[in-house]
Amino acid sequence: MRNRHSLLIFLAVAAIISSIWFYTFLISPPKQTLDQRVHDVASQLKCLVCQGESVADSPATLSQQMRGVIRQQLQSGKSEQEVIQYFVSRYGDRILLSPPWQGLTLLAWLVPIALMLGGVLLLFLVLRSWQSQSDKSPLDADRTESVDIDQNELAYYQKQVAQELAAEDSIFSRPGSEVD
Amino acid sequence: MYFSDIGIISLILALGFAVFTMVVATLGATRELPQLVASAKRSVLTVAFFLILASAALIASFLTHDFGVSYVAQHSNLAMPWYYTASAFYGGQEGSLLYWALMLSIFSAIFVFTAKRAPTVLVPYVMATLMGIETFLLIVLTTVSNPFVRLPVPLADGVGLNPLLMDPGMLIHPPMLLMGYMSFSVPFAFAVAAMITGKLDSEWLRSIRGWMLAAWSIQTLGLVLGAWWAYHVLGWGGYWGWDPVENAALLPWLTATAFLHSSMVQERRGMLKVWNLSLVIASFALSIFGTFEVRSGIINSVHSFAYSAIGAYFLAFLVIVIVFSIGLFIFRLPKLQPEQEFDSVISREGSFLLNNLLLVGAMFATLWGTLFPLISNAVRHETLTVGPPFYNQVDGPIFIVLILAMGIGPLLAWRHTSTRALRRNLGIPALAAAICAAVLPLLGIRDIWANIAFAVCSFSAGAILYEMWRGVRVRHRHGEPYLFALYMLFERYRQRYGGYLVHLGLVMLAVGIIGSHFFQVQQDAVLKPGQKMDVAGYKLVYFGNIDRTYPDVEILTAQLQVWHDGQLQQYIYPGRQLYARFANQPTSLISITTYGLTDLYVFLANWNGLSEATIRVFVNPLVPLVWLGGIVMLLGGIICWWPQRRKRLVSVIVPHTEKEPASERVGAGAVSGGEGALAPPSVESIIGHSDGSKAEVAPGREGTLASPPVGVLSGVPENDEEATT
Repeated sequence: MRNRHSLLIFLAVAAIISSIWFYTFLISPPKQTLDQRVHDVASQLKCLVCQGESVADSPATLSQQMRGVIRQQLQSGKSEQEVIQYFVSRYGDRILLSPPWQGLTLLAWLVPIALMLGGVLLLFLVLRSWQSQSDKSPLDADRTESVDIDQNELAYYQKQVAQELAAEDSIFSRPGSEVD
Repeated sequence: MYFSDIGIISLILALGFAVFTMVVATLGATRELPQLVASAKRSVLTVAFFLILASAALIASFLTHDFGVSYVAQHSNLAMPWYYTASAFYGGQEGSLLYWALMLSIFSAIFVFTAKRAPTVLVPYVMATLMGIETFLLIVLTTVSNPFVRLPVPLADGVGLNPLLMDPGMLIHPPMLLMGYMSFSVPFAFAVAAMITGKLDSEWLRSIRGWMLAAWSIQTLGLVLGAWWAYHVLGWGGYWGWDPVENAALLPWLTATAFLHSSMVQERRGMLKVWNLSLVIASFALSIFGTFEVRSGIINSVHSFAYSAIGAYFLAFLVIVIVFSIGLFIFRLPKLQPEQEFDSVISREGSFLLNNLLLVGAMFATLWGTLFPLISNAVRHETLTVGPPFYNQVDGPIFIVLILAMGIGPLLAWRHTSTRALRRNLGIPALAAAICAAVLPLLGIRDIWANIAFAVCSFSAGAILYEMWRGVRVRHRHGEPYLFALYMLFERYRQRYGGYLVHLGLVMLAVGIIGSHFFQVQQDAVLKPGQKMDVAGYKLVYFGNIDRTYPDVEILTAQLQVWHDGQLQQYIYPGRQLYARFANQPTSLISITTYGLTDLYVFLANWNGLSEATIRVFVNPLVPLVWLGGIVMLLGGIICWWPQRRKRLVSVIVPHTEKEPASERVGAGAVSGGEGALAPPSVESIIGHSDGSKAEVAPGREGTLASPPVGVLSGVPENDEEATT
């Protein structure tokens, strides 16, 4: 009974989460301010006169001017991608902070993804072979047979476990488990 | 006779003793001559002594301003305060190598002092490996990168330290990170020793885990300190830029984390021996790779302050390490037949495998991103940047899945978990996630990715806290007050609860990263006195600049008021320091004030005379959690690592004829239930919270899964109800 209860709670919870996510994602995509959009674009472009900084982060004059250009172009109705494309056409791929999804640089993205998928596949194959190994393992048979264990021996083991646990942590000590 | 002469002599003697140790330790082990091993131990201590002496000589050269020493002249000057002068010891390449060699020798000495804890057969090989690494460093130090080289004519005053390094963070961040890199040598030495001797048993595993935990903790501290340094010094409002050097420090940390998890599978189930060895070797190789990358200057980075041809030596060493390790592997592989026995994917070992896949995947992705510009340059002759957007998109999702797995993993039992039990354990964490997902949009947080990330974090935090609460509750029922019960859990089951603390710290850190990644607000303004700017609920009023000139440095600060909630909070003074010798490198004095969990980060980007300033303001929500999470992780690491008193093993001798009422309570029929069905319920429910350290209770019985006691010990949280399945 309690289990069915917890299953219901679990399903309800999952339903709530997914509906919220769908709602926020599909029905009301967040409205971005112009500042945010400028920042989004600028953080994908590399500051050409600094070391390892984006146009959004860099205080250099060139970056300030570039932020101004981005703002102008976005205001004039261009999309983020179009603004980025504008800078790529002027400066080449080196202006991008992440490699573009085309040509050789596609590899930069594909290799990690391929490695991850390969890893999942490898793990799956390895696990399957291990599982089949352990199904055949003779130990398994032993385990089921061990049901017919001698009661005295069982009591002995239980005692030993109880005693070791008690020595380990006083909370396990209980009257009647001391062994003479 | 200068101090530098003492330094050179010490280095040469240390080199001699390091080579001596390698030879003698190996001979002692192969010929089984304990006297030679004892001699090697003393020789390791001698190496440490000479390296301490050499380091003392270098520091003495700095403090006495011996500008006849080239290294001293290049990295210090008369005007520097004594603490920066002393820390210039590791401010350049030669000195940081000496520091590395020093730390390696000190760790080797600590190993020798604690050698009794390690398996005896391994000791000589561990020493030989450590001294092999030391020999490499000493060869470099005495030839191409000698910090004691004297100039033909001493300079009157030195050049001084790069101003970026003259920061309090500098006093502690580089030494921690270098120590972290170095500390992966000890686990590596254990791995080599195990491959040579073929001794990969539980005793070996315990030793190597201890050293790996120490290395992991040091590296964690180094990474967090590095982030803190970047945040307080660089002025771009962030703390982690996916810079190649930062990546290099993260890579061994990822593999070390993977090892700390997968080694538990080996501890409990005897699986993954080969994999674990590879992770240890990978951690060490990656730390060498990191040094190579930083030192060679093959990749541009904000953090590398020393370039030279020394990279080639490290590359050669890296190749030797890899070839040597692979050779040993092939030699040892026939003996590494694992006890592979896998029952179900939905089990603790299954979750550890997933954890390993994700961590190693993140490592490969980061390594690939770091190296890709080189590849692209070689193939297309085009400089290309792989920057933060790449890593955020590739590593971000991996880490989110990792945090999710981190919440589920500890709830799973070894071998197999029934879906019913899993459902019951997941209820509370899932509820926490749902509440988080529902509440955030109400608070105006509409970003779907932020929502998912936060929900995952609350799931994990809920799982960990609920698990802790269950442990406390069980102990409380046995008469312990709540706080004491919590203390006892940490005291008794250090690995498990220390691990939970690390996880909790990581969740805090993740929340901090998510908060500042998605909700950072940035604004620039050129202000004249009296003008103000509004940023995300904070109002800044500018008053003017203050210029102070000291003999060696000019400090210019802007004065601003911070208003929040209609009240004047405080005055802040973001500024710049201009060192006379580095006039074109003004370092920043960033003003960071924390309101609740939000940082107000104010940077003086530019100024014009005394009455105009370009102010750049970042409002960074939740960043304080990054530092707090780092501290909690470190604390958890230390708790895990803290040596536990060796357990007294009670030998119980029970006459087989004895019958006690206790056995009736147990219910013999429950044996068929397998896991954990043997002991009375109260014991079981506690065992459920006790695995980790518990495994040591009966070391003699490891792997004998068919015998009842181990069945009990592999206890699972839900076993009180599993008994009947």
